[in-house]
Amino acid sequence: MNAQTPAERELAELIVTSLNLEGVSATAIAPDAPLFGGTLGLDSIDALEIALAVSRRYGFQLRSDHPDNRRIFGSLGALAAHIEQQRSVSTA
Amino acid sequence: MNAHWQGRREGGGRFALWLIRGIGLHLGRPLARLILYPVTLYFFFRRGAERRATRQFYARLQGRPASAWQVMRQFHCYAATTLDRVFLLARGTHGFAIEVEGLETLEALHAEGRGVLLLGAHVGSFEALRALAGRFPQGRLRVLLDKAQTPALTALLESLAPEVGAAVIDASRDPTAIVLALAEATREGALVALLADRARRGEATRMTPFLGVPAPLPTSPWLLAAALDVPVLLCFGLYLGGNRYRLLFEPFADRVTMPRAQRAAALDAALTRFAARLEAIARTYPRNWFNFYDFWQATADATGTGAGAAAGDAGAGADPRGHAGS
Repeated sequence: MNAQTPAERELAELIVTSLNLEGVSATAIAPDAPLFGGTLGLDSIDALEIALAVSRRYGFQLRSDHPDNRRIFGSLGALAAHIEQQRSVSTA
Repeated sequence: MNAHWQGRREGGGRFALWLIRGIGLHLGRPLARLILYPVTLYFFFRRGAERRATRQFYARLQGRPASAWQVMRQFHCYAATTLDRVFLLARGTHGFAIEVEGLETLEALHAEGRGVLLLGAHVGSFEALRALAGRFPQGRLRVLLDKAQTPALTALLESLAPEVGAAVIDASRDPTAIVLALAEATREGALVALLADRARRGEATRMTPFLGVPAPLPTSPWLLAAALDVPVLLCFGLYLGGNRYRLLFEPFADRVTMPRAQRAAALDAALTRFAARLEAIARTYPRNWFNFYDFWQATADATGTGAGAAAGDAGAGADPRGHAGS
């Protein structure tokens, strides 16, 4: 449970605050647990809100036509890794 | 009576649709419309679930069972608008008399470069609305449709107008990809149209009074409107008979807010208003009601018209006042 990397921790906090998830602690979101349809109970509209929050915070868009969207939005860890990768691309 | 609409196979089949297309485009609309009579009879005698759903709708609308004539007129109207989709896509609005009401608001928002969410229902012709796309720059009207639900019809219509097909956001894709595509479209200032009266399997609904009886209406269009933060307009493409259509655009909300703490109440408020507008449209244009399945789901009493039948779960904050069937 506490194996979040700093990037995962930052993203978890962004998710909790942007979705206004009351009663959910950012540290309690396991990096490899399903983000959607799992215990968090998030749905596709929540995915949209997360994507909007990510674009505001990090300045890039999560695209609808990305072939790996299912995996990218699969877990906190996968999404954080994708964001890291995109940020390194845009700042390179 | 409790079958989900997604479980109904597409009526007619691929060959029949291609035949209708060929006859329509070669012989012209007046002759093609003669096909509507056998098609109506076919649906009347062979599609029992659709026939029962239509009777149920009229029972709730008028407080007495529908006559066979009313049911047949309903199927005829549906068949006529389906045939007209061929003409609208192949030749645009040429040969049709189309009145448009309320387009000013839409054009004003579009001129400001704002994205807009257009919410419709399975009432009348969505195609007549798509025909309006010609008034806006290429790609500025996007439509969310489930290509997997009516594959034969989708293939036929896209063969007639590939550019219209390209404007479709396919609702049978992964939900996350769909919402991101909708966000991209509205961010670019597009008008995004979707139908807000049916929930897909597994999609969240709230029981909302419609014609006096709670019906499960999908919540996602309203959550989407809030997340996209765009103005919402209602749109209806109503068939008036002959070659006449009336397109209605009604401003619904400049913005929709769905605070998580009061989400249920906010959803019920939006859904109740939407259902009231839908009900008014259904009363004024009953023959345009094209939800040919048990719209109320799980409400066993198909003849109920009033408070007795409305005792189901109305959802927190829903207010059934003023919706009793007359």
